[in-house]
Amino acid sequence: MRNWFKSGAPWIWLTAGSVSISLIAVLGVMAMIAWRGLSFFWPAAIHEFEVRANDGSSQVIIGEIYDTEEVPMQRLRESGVVLDGYDEETLTRVLLKVGNREYVPLDFMWVMQPQIVRDETPVELAVVERSKDGNFYGYPLHLLENGVVVQSNDLRADLQQRIERAVALNEQAKDLQQSDIGAINYQLNRLRLERRSLELKEALSEGEIARIEAAEQQLRDDYKLLEQRLFAYRDEANRDALVVRDMRGLEVTLPMYRILDVTFPNDMGLFSKIGHFFKQIGKFVTEDPREANTEGGVFPAIFGTVFMVLLMSVLVTPFGVIAAIYLHEYAGKNAITRIIRIAVINLAGVPSIVYGVFGLGFFVYMVGGTLDQIFYPEGLPSPTFGTPGVMWSAITLAILTLPVVIVSTEEGLSRIPSTLREGSLALGATKAETLWRIILPMASPAIMTGLILAVARAAGEVAPLMLVGVVKSAPMLPVDGNFPYFHLDRKFMHLGFHIYDVGFQSPNVEAARPLVYATSFLLVTVIVGLNLTAIGVRNHLREKYRSLEH
Amino acid sequence: MISVTPSNLQAEALDLAHLSAEQTALEIRGLNLHYGSAQALYDISMKIPTNRVTAFIGPSGCGKSTLLRCINRMNDLVEICKVSGEIVLHDKNIYDKDVDVAALRRQVGMVFQRPNPFPKSIYENVVYGMRLQGVNDRRTLDEVVERSLKGAALWDEVKDRLNASAFGLSGGQQQRLVIARAIAIEPEVLLLDEPTSALDPISTLTIEELITELKNKYTVVIVTHNMQQAARVSDQTAFMYMGKLIEYADTNTLFTTPEQKQTEDYITGRYG
Repeated sequence: MRNWFKSGAPWIWLTAGSVSISLIAVLGVMAMIAWRGLSFFWPAAIHEFEVRANDGSSQVIIGEIYDTEEVPMQRLRESGVVLDGYDEETLTRVLLKVGNREYVPLDFMWVMQPQIVRDETPVELAVVERSKDGNFYGYPLHLLENGVVVQSNDLRADLQQRIERAVALNEQAKDLQQSDIGAINYQLNRLRLERRSLELKEALSEGEIARIEAAEQQLRDDYKLLEQRLFAYRDEANRDALVVRDMRGLEVTLPMYRILDVTFPNDMGLFSKIGHFFKQIGKFVTEDPREANTEGGVFPAIFGTVFMVLLMSVLVTPFGVIAAIYLHEYAGKNAITRIIRIAVINLAGVPSIVYGVFGLGFFVYMVGGTLDQIFYPEGLPSPTFGTPGVMWSAITLAILTLPVVIVSTEEGLSRIPSTLREGSLALGATKAETLWRIILPMASPAIMTGLILAVARAAGEVAPLMLVGVVKSAPMLPVDGNFPYFHLDRKFMHLGFHIYDVGFQSPNVEAARPLVYATSFLLVTVIVGLNLTAIGVRNHLREKYRSLEH
Repeated sequence: MISVTPSNLQAEALDLAHLSAEQTALEIRGLNLHYGSAQALYDISMKIPTNRVTAFIGPSGCGKSTLLRCINRMNDLVEICKVSGEIVLHDKNIYDKDVDVAALRRQVGMVFQRPNPFPKSIYENVVYGMRLQGVNDRRTLDEVVERSLKGAALWDEVKDRLNASAFGLSGGQQQRLVIARAIAIEPEVLLLDEPTSALDPISTLTIEELITELKNKYTVVIVTHNMQQAARVSDQTAFMYMGKLIEYADTNTLFTTPEQKQTEDYITGRYG
């Protein structure tokens, strides 16, 4: 035993063990999030249960199995559940998602295993994905066109065709609303601000008023035309409807313009399931959220996260690098420099919410408020920059990640061999020329390392953003087709906040739970993607500026 | 006893104490240097003749590298370093307040102990000094590269891969590249600080041959640990000990009939 200790083997086991535990932790977290997030997109079988209650009455329930758990009978008895002829210690119960939100009290339902007398998965059962009220489960019966039953030989093909038509019309209506009508609204607002601005400057002449009013009238006329087109699209989309028999046995008419997709998961082969899986993931990544974020996609949140992180990188890199250059190259090597360096390092340890409070108090209210008074007085009292927005979020996170960039840049600068500096100086270069031509290019891999750490930290930060710019639902992206294209004053959505909002602030937590995992997985993917890009750039630079190897 | 055979390449001896103005490239007058409170150089005075090779020899820590680095003011980089006395180049003390240090270093080039090519291509290494002066004309630069690399006896080895990284060269090639880089801006004086101490014997030989070539165009000052090297390449040699200039004479005289006891002890290997 003593020899074993002396051999150093336990030390190897200890160190290797630590590495293994870290690895297992990382992989475990990723696997768990990925599994629970991605399984949400897999088309689950739809069951039709016949459940016989204690009093002998029976009920048909249609839904997806969401969860299964074992509960002790004791607990059920205490809560008043009586099951005749069942004497086991524990009981299996099944959580079903039954959908049909507007017709049932709860779209999730527990069913006790012993009460199930029939369990079938009929191939005719369909999932109707709707833009409102969530999924609908039932048997499609026939189609209606302008309220008249359509005779069809192949219901599924006809249905698919009519859904595509309605979806295309909805898409056109949405485009019209967002781009054309959105642009008119934006221009109307700008005209209003222009008028107010002239009024404040007391330069509002009769001519100006006439000009502005003429422009406004023109826009309003355009608006009316567009509105008519919009209503026409909607009426067109409203033409068809689908009649479905639900689990109560009643026929329900679903208007086609609210139907996004109809699938028959019980009738799918493996390949169509895989196809459906990727289609669902695609929708999740590219679509806007619906129903208070519990349904639909997360595109605005992905866009907001990436945009804010990129903006932060653009701000923090030059600032941090310049500060590091001063500290390392120009500042005297004395006590004050050392104190500054320690202060910078300690800045990294300040809790992020403190930065949020600082950002709100200093950037949003003080700087933003002052900017509004000087540059945007026409908008007051509604603030332009004096309110949380994506720019303030990026700046706040830039301050938060500044120490990381400074520290790693300084390390990079100190690793450059002094012989290279001397070589450059001996050729008649000044200190600044040496910095630009030799030192900074060689320090660029270290700068990238700092940026990688900064991005990793900033992309995952949520707490400070809640104070300085993140919202549950942003009507518009911070980048659009209206001049000046980048709207840094706008609020934005963020994947991290989206997880919190969907998971804990949602009216329908049960329905949103898989979305929490899916969004978490997506957030991790986005961060890993950003990091891998930065690491790729760094490795390229490293190869280029590989230091002398002897 | 180390056998020292002065080479026949050496020029005829000069009277170092009474050089005429046109024979003098540099004159050092009463130079003292302190690192903080410690004195590193004591009252050095010497004249360095034009278009000849002058060697500084002496044991480690004797101040020979420090003296060399005074000539292009590289010691300015050391914050605690204080210099008094004069080094005169073209009737001008280079330690005067109005001297442009960057311009001085263009006149007085330097090659260091270890090869220090920049992380750039061979071509860009050579033209670095030209680009600093704002010369970006491709044809001029091409000419400079060819002339400098030929001057540093490297052209034939690298002419086909001028755009390859300088790090791909061997140590000896890198050192010649650094010499090419230094002569690309046509300095008057070239300072070599133990240029072969990190190289293998064959590379050393190539560099030594190069040094005897270089003196046709430049005044060369070389610091070396290696007495045979000093004997082989230099025309006159200065022996330094403990920050003082002990003896300065033409190389033949210094190695065959040294005047000072300390010099004799050193070159015969009794210490150092």
